Amino acid sequence: MDSPSPHADSGPPTGAKPYTSLFTAGVRRTIFFGLVFTINLVAGIWLFDLYDRLGLHKAHGLILGLFLLLNGLLTLGTMHAFIGVWDFIRGRRRAICITDLAKSQTGPLTQKHVVVMPVYNEDIVKVCGRVEAIYRSIEAAGQLDAFDFYILSDTTDLNCWVEEEVAWTNMCRRLDGFGKIYYRRRRKNENRKAGNIGDFVRNWGGHYEAMVVLDADSLMDGGDIVKLARTMELYPRLGILQTPPKLIRGGSVFTRMQQFAMRLYGPLFIRGLNYWQLNSGSYWGHNAIIRVRPFSEFCELPALPGREPFGGRILSHDFVEAALMVREGWEVWLAWDIVGTYEEAPPTLVDHLKRDRRWCQGNLQHMWLVFARKFPLPSRVHLFMGIMAYLGSPLWFLFLLFGTYVAWDRHKSGLSDLPVVSRFVEWLDKLATWVSQWPSLQPVSTELRHLRDLALKMAPNDQALILMGLVVVMLFLPKILALIGAVLHGPTRRSFGGAIPLILGVFMEMVLSMFMAPAIMIAHTFMILGMVMGASVSWGNQTRETDGTGWGEAVSVHGPAFIAGVAWTALALWIGPSFALWMSPILIGMLLSIPMSVLTSRVRYGQALKSKKLFSIPEEISPPEIMTLADQAQAAVDAALTAKAPGREGVIAAVVDPYVNGVHVSLLDASDPDEDHAELAEKMLKEGAAALKKDELANILYHGPSVLAMHRAVWSRPFDALHSSWGKAVESYRIRTEPDAV
Amino acid sequence: MGQPDHSLAALRPLNEGELVEWEEAYVAVEAYLGALRIRNRLLVAELVRGILWRASARHAQEPGVSVRSLAMDETLKEIAEWTKQVLAEPLQQGRLAARGRLALLLTDMPGQWQSVFLTPEPWPPAFVEAMRKSYLSAGPQFAALTMTPRPLELNAIGSGAAQWWETMDRRPVVRKMFFFFLIVLIVAGLWFIFGPDIKLPR
Repeated sequence: MDSPSPHADSGPPTGAKPYTSLFTAGVRRTIFFGLVFTINLVAGIWLFDLYDRLGLHKAHGLILGLFLLLNGLLTLGTMHAFIGVWDFIRGRRRAICITDLAKSQTGPLTQKHVVVMPVYNEDIVKVCGRVEAIYRSIEAAGQLDAFDFYILSDTTDLNCWVEEEVAWTNMCRRLDGFGKIYYRRRRKNENRKAGNIGDFVRNWGGHYEAMVVLDADSLMDGGDIVKLARTMELYPRLGILQTPPKLIRGGSVFTRMQQFAMRLYGPLFIRGLNYWQLNSGSYWGHNAIIRVRPFSEFCELPALPGREPFGGRILSHDFVEAALMVREGWEVWLAWDIVGTYEEAPPTLVDHLKRDRRWCQGNLQHMWLVFARKFPLPSRVHLFMGIMAYLGSPLWFLFLLFGTYVAWDRHKSGLSDLPVVSRFVEWLDKLATWVSQWPSLQPVSTELRHLRDLALKMAPNDQALILMGLVVVMLFLPKILALIGAVLHGPTRRSFGGAIPLILGVFMEMVLSMFMAPAIMIAHTFMILGMVMGASVSWGNQTRETDGTGWGEAVSVHGPAFIAGVAWTALALWIGPSFALWMSPILIGMLLSIPMSVLTSRVRYGQALKSKKLFSIPEEISPPEIMTLADQAQAAVDAALTAKAPGREGVIAAVVDPYVNGVHVSLLDASDPDEDHAELAEKMLKEGAAALKKDELANILYHGPSVLAMHRAVWSRPFDALHSSWGKAVESYRIRTEPDAV
Repeated sequence: MGQPDHSLAALRPLNEGELVEWEEAYVAVEAYLGALRIRNRLLVAELVRGILWRASARHAQEPGVSVRSLAMDETLKEIAEWTKQVLAEPLQQGRLAARGRLALLLTDMPGQWQSVFLTPEPWPPAFVEAMRKSYLSAGPQFAALTMTPRPLELNAIGSGAAQWWETMDRRPVVRKMFFFFLIVLIVAGLWFIFGPDIKLPR
């Protein structure tokens, strides 16, 4: 189950012992997966027994198979929370925590580290605000000398590109960060984010021991970053150290609900995950620190067999990179105790599903890697869990479909639900008889017979209810446990706004997430069907802010769920009211998917909830310093250097504005003038930037002499010899720029 | 550089058309200085006056070139020359002019050193030092690492599946046949499960 021994030539330094022994890891994993297996087996036997009593149907085999798989996943998730609770109860001192190594360590870091922020058509002012906050936070921790910062742009929007250059320059001016904070734009964004990070590692990685990889919406406390770096320095076997980011800044009901759920229940799941994964953890793509050299050596992603969507380039790189690292003997840990680690979530259900489309394809590609050689079992489990996060939806859909069919068939055939003797009863009887052979186990035998008598009296409906009860317990008990823990613990209770908002919040979250689940299930099912039909995903930038989903968009996204809901409800009612009642949580979710998606996307409703402290999180009630720093950061905005002024935004500013032009040209490689570029430049001057194709425009913007020549031309030529956009831009400078104007 | 004691008398007398031309040139130069965020009107007026004086001198030599063009050429040239002197660097394909402009910004010329802009030596040492330090660093020296993808090693099941998958990718006919077979298989399976004779003997 554990990772193979590190190779002397390619693995971590020899002599450094693993942080946890093989024995401890083996025991913990056996306990965890043993519990999952046992619970799932018992539930499976219980369901088989129920079907058996009702009269076996050919479809029951399929349903039972699906149930074992789906219930196994549910049990797996729930056991994370239960084990997490147990780990919490045992206390901090007895929990395994890799960053304990850095406890009470002081003094300067001895190696050079880097914070990298990949961006792709983002709001760069906000991105730079986050970078500034992290910069200042590390500075406050007294370790700024040990860090460099890189903004790694894969931006395809050319206006955004210029805005990024300007924002970065302003940030560096304000922080005196030239030579410390770097900006780089890739001309071709091959292999998406993984390619972006890979390109950085290839070109500059040699300068650094480890890199803190962020997302454009990530925010991390400087003190915690220093702690991660220190742990890296102190433990040479460590390849990746992942932190559990919390969701923040939710505005809409949907995001607020997500951040509340993640904040309240997340720590239990995280502790549970750490319980078994230990040194064979996973990487979630951001808010993690990675040792650069082994990353460069082992983590370049291989191409998968065939073409996209299932083959080709790996879309979701993080799990694979962690698995490759673990395969080579490096340890990958989850720093569950790091609290100052944040990210933002898509604001609406529709945006969430758009992101899921990308992740779905990426995770399903991992099917190949489940069959890769030398991957340790924990890595395969991570990959499998990722796959099932999406494949689970069509399987649930099939499960419900088959269940409906059986109910319909039974209704049509007029068969009654009369109980017959349960095989479970027979098994209990046999077990009791077998146990009674040992006199010392007589009480056990008596108890088993007592249980048998109870089961004998049980009607199938009771048996079904017990099974349903088990599923409900596994679904909701972790939430209830988290709620109880939070209510009983004063500081936690207060940090969420008090007991009443906490209880109401959990109740609302359970109801809303239950009713949203069917819409997500249908959407995932369609995603996977689309992939099976050969549709591959393109790389879209993530919406991080919006005023909500329009009704038209909601209808187009959730239309299939609604139509399926109408048809299914009619069928369920025809089969019988009791079946419709059993199915009601699913059917109501489908029927309400459109209004649910729209209403939960509205920021004004989210704000109304916020005013009542509903779905509030500690970071909202008492913002941590890093969030305050990010809110205060204005480094990227300066009236003296802007590419957002009306009439001269982005590309126009790069040509017209003397300073923006200076920034842009200074960042380009030196090149000689040539005729091709001169022709394009002339066309751009006469017909405007919009007259050029995107690649032509990009081509000319990469050519320093042309950009300089155009700068001179727009200022020197008569306006009637130029496109009107240039004249307007030049004219805009006749209005005096006030120092505070933006 | 235009000196304050130089009069613009050389321009006169101007007819209406010439007046408009010089007005346009004035506006262009003023706007450019505005683009450099020089906000002090007195300074702007003085700088424009000096630049136009030089343009007028050139206009006498180059009557075919528009006044606005000459004035802006003088503006850009003067800024570039002056920057070159301050930075003590040679001009290279105009890139230094761009970097020089940027250095002005980074030095906070619009905020702190407006009065120094385009003035002759000596300049305040703090200004010169700040200008020379303000070269933009586009990135550190490269420190390359190799990142070569290692081939994906699949086990027996994976290798077989990969071979089959790639064959389907290469040959669309095989893919179509495979999907047709798969659909037949699913239909047959469903018929077996959901077809007649639904009760199994206990």
